[in-house]
Amino acid sequence: MTEPATAVLVVDDDPSVRRAIKRLVESVGLQAEMFGSAHEFLQAKRPDVPSCIVLDIRLPGTSGLDFQQELAEANIPVPIIFITAHGDVPMTVRAMKAGAIEFLTKPFRDQDLLDAIQIALERDRARRQRETEIAALRERFESLTPREREVVAMVVRGMLNKQIAAEIGTAENTVKVHRSRAMEKMQAQSLADLVRMVERLQIPARKVS
Amino acid sequence: MIVSASVALTGSYDYSEVARSTLIAIAASYAALDLAGRVTAAKGWVRLAWLSAGATAMGIGIWAMQFKAMLAFRLPVSVEYHWPTVLASLLLAILASAVALYVVSRRKMGPVEALTGSVLMGAGIAGMFYMGIAAMRLPAITRFSPLLVTVSILLAILFSLIALLLAFDLREETRWTLRRRMGSATVMGVAISAMHYTGMAAASFIPASPPELTHAVNISPVGNFGIAIVTFIVLVAAIVTSSVDRQAKAEVQRLNQELERRVVERTLQLEAVNQALRNEIVERERAEKALRESEDRLRLVIDTIPQQIWSGPPDGSLDFCNAQWRSYMGLTQEELQGEGWQRMLHPDDRELVLKAWRESVANGTPYEREARHRGADGRYRWFLARGVPLRDSAGRIARWFGTNTDIEDRKQAEDRLRRVVDTTPAMLHSARPDGYLDFFNKRWLEYVGLSLDDMCGWRWTNAIHPDDVEELVGKWRSSLATGEPFEAEVRVRRADGEYRWMLHRKVPLRDQAGNIVKWYASSVDIEDRRRAEEALQEAQDKLAHVTRTQAMGELAASIAHEVNQPLTAVVTNGDFCLRRLESAAPNLDELRAAIAEIVNDGTRASAVISRIRGLLMKGAPRRAELDINEVMQDVTILLRNELSRNHVSLHTDLAPDLPRVFGDGVQLQQVVINLVMNGIEAMHGLAHRPRELVIKSVRSHNEVLIQVQDSGEGLNPEQREHIFEPFFTTKPQGIGMGLSISRSIVESHGGRLWAESGPNGALFQFTLPAQMGNGVL
Repeated sequence: MTEPATAVLVVDDDPSVRRAIKRLVESVGLQAEMFGSAHEFLQAKRPDVPSCIVLDIRLPGTSGLDFQQELAEANIPVPIIFITAHGDVPMTVRAMKAGAIEFLTKPFRDQDLLDAIQIALERDRARRQRETEIAALRERFESLTPREREVVAMVVRGMLNKQIAAEIGTAENTVKVHRSRAMEKMQAQSLADLVRMVERLQIPARKVS
Repeated sequence: MIVSASVALTGSYDYSEVARSTLIAIAASYAALDLAGRVTAAKGWVRLAWLSAGATAMGIGIWAMQFKAMLAFRLPVSVEYHWPTVLASLLLAILASAVALYVVSRRKMGPVEALTGSVLMGAGIAGMFYMGIAAMRLPAITRFSPLLVTVSILLAILFSLIALLLAFDLREETRWTLRRRMGSATVMGVAISAMHYTGMAAASFIPASPPELTHAVNISPVGNFGIAIVTFIVLVAAIVTSSVDRQAKAEVQRLNQELERRVVERTLQLEAVNQALRNEIVERERAEKALRESEDRLRLVIDTIPQQIWSGPPDGSLDFCNAQWRSYMGLTQEELQGEGWQRMLHPDDRELVLKAWRESVANGTPYEREARHRGADGRYRWFLARGVPLRDSAGRIARWFGTNTDIEDRKQAEDRLRRVVDTTPAMLHSARPDGYLDFFNKRWLEYVGLSLDDMCGWRWTNAIHPDDVEELVGKWRSSLATGEPFEAEVRVRRADGEYRWMLHRKVPLRDQAGNIVKWYASSVDIEDRRRAEEALQEAQDKLAHVTRTQAMGELAASIAHEVNQPLTAVVTNGDFCLRRLESAAPNLDELRAAIAEIVNDGTRASAVISRIRGLLMKGAPRRAELDINEVMQDVTILLRNELSRNHVSLHTDLAPDLPRVFGDGVQLQQVVINLVMNGIEAMHGLAHRPRELVIKSVRSHNEVLIQVQDSGEGLNPEQREHIFEPFFTTKPQGIGMGLSISRSIVESHGGRLWAESGPNGALFQFTLPAQMGNGVL
């Protein structure tokens, strides 16, 4: 409750609304930052803390929904809470499909916003957690030699050592050496553990293909 | 018988006697000539008396001369005279004289008479001579030389002839008569003497025995003298008598001549007078003929010219009607004259015509009237009757003259025209150049339910709505003054009492000199049109409202956003305040700031709502001076959301210090909204280039120009042509009224709205007249 710094990023072209939200958010002890447009948001240096975006649908230039998409494409997976003065169903569906935490219609109840913010921050915190783990995994994965990665990929796909050896044209024992070294490097306790790791990384399959 | 000359007695002449005898001969001749004139001049018994007296005097004269001559011959013997023979010779002389006088006094003396007369006279004279010889009683025998006797007789005849010719010639009394008579008498006297002495020469006396002296007398010198005296006395008496008579005759003749002269003179005068009279008569006849011809011509003219002519005495009756009229009526002069003509009048006209005619007759004013006259065929034709009085020098009316002109054709044409004028579904009237309205057609009169008399002049103003009269009359007077066509819309009271709007137009008709001779006018009941126009206006307003409402509907999201935005801030701030108030020690500054924001945002929301309310409100357009930039800013606020929703970036470029315009803010907002929304719409499918909308206000001359430019595909020619037509739309949901209404709004503000198409989208722009009043320009 004390330490973990968070940031609520408010993107609304209406300064009045922006200020009101900031005031509300800060009243519950959260940090809020305000942006007048998507462009402004992208220009700014964002704090590397669990964050969420309170995003107005209607924005000058790029709209809120488009911005959501842009962020996703830019791999900025900050949870988004949409607020709109006039929302319709297709808009809501699109937003939610694209991973929005909440879609609030202005004027909203303060608690609804604050709850959504809490959820969003929690989710971002979790995501950040996950991302840290994956980053560690990736780091370990990156330490593998290409041959080891190859072998890991085939192991994950369930191929037997013998098959792998045939595939890559080495001795079965060589495969076994690669495999055990990779397991070691990856700090995998079991084959299942390795498979899970690779899945989380989501890379091998693509890499292999 | 002694036949020997030597023995013959020698005689001598007493020459004084010869002279006397010759003198007597001359005197006798003169007397004869004179008497011949008298005998000729006399008539009846006076002539006989003159003849006898003249013959006697002349005979005595001749005889006396002869006897005297004989006495002048002295013979040496005593000579005595046998007096009866002497007397007989005297008678013979008188007889010869009578013959001569008779002959010469006849009117005509041809050669036979002259010859016969001269032979008789000559014979008489010769006889007398030889009788005188024979009367001699002397002692001698008388012998005669036959030659000389013959000669003497011939001479006597010759001289007689001469004498007769002379006497005949000289019997008339002329100027030279006396002198010529004297001359002639001298010639004759000498001739007689010559004859006598020739005769004497023929005789020779041979002495012989004394003669027997019975009855013989001796002629003494005294006797001789006495003969001469008597003879002269006789001759003188004859001449004097003749002269007196002649003078008396001459006096008579003079008187006669005078009379004659006077008669002639008078006759001449009379003749001259007669001639003059004849000339005059000829002249008069000629003049009369000319007059008659002229009259005939005039009558011909009067009777044949295609005009009915009449005249009459000052009392107003008629006494002359020309043939044209008579034949038209089929009546005679007698039937027409007096008051007979009145029977031709149409019963409907009769009273008016007679009244007017009586007035003219009474006042001496020219008469002029159109009326129907019945013709011989029983049909009536229209005539224009005109009458003028002819006045004498004293100014009194002497006669009335008049004409009747057949105006049936004109009247029919007029009737046709009148029918046209009266039945044309238009209200027509006309006015004189002085502004006096002199004619209203039937439709007009029926429309107002008034008579022509009620409307003529300026009385028509009674039919005009009291509020409109002053302006109308003013306009009409001004048109009259300037000659400019007149046009006005005023309310006219219809027959049913309802005032209805009418449009009046008057145009002047000018003559060749450009002077206005008449005004012609038409009036149109525009009440229905006006109502329709009002209804149309109302419908248009409604439609504008509907389209506004529709636009608002389309903008609902944006509008909601626009309202929700401040509301969101309000609610959020409110929530914040509540939260803070729940804490132990609320930060009042914080709260104050939040509440201030709440108030601001509340005001903001209210402003938006009132804008929308204005646009949605249904009401009469209200115009006022306004700043078009404000209008446009209002619109951009309303449309901000719409623009962003459609990813359209808006650039506004509003000129500062624009002149104000006079207009209806709501309507002008509607126009701008419409243009902006169209622009947004036009860029809807635009992917490959930025969607930009530029809104500009520009000051242009004495107008304000507003431009809305999009970056869409622009307009194709067909669109550009039809885009302002009602119900033309390129949008699937559009009803196509937006631009049509926008244009009518702009045009009702005195501006123009048009579209252009450039490479970078469509440009819509409109102008509004700038207000000059406040010195902005």
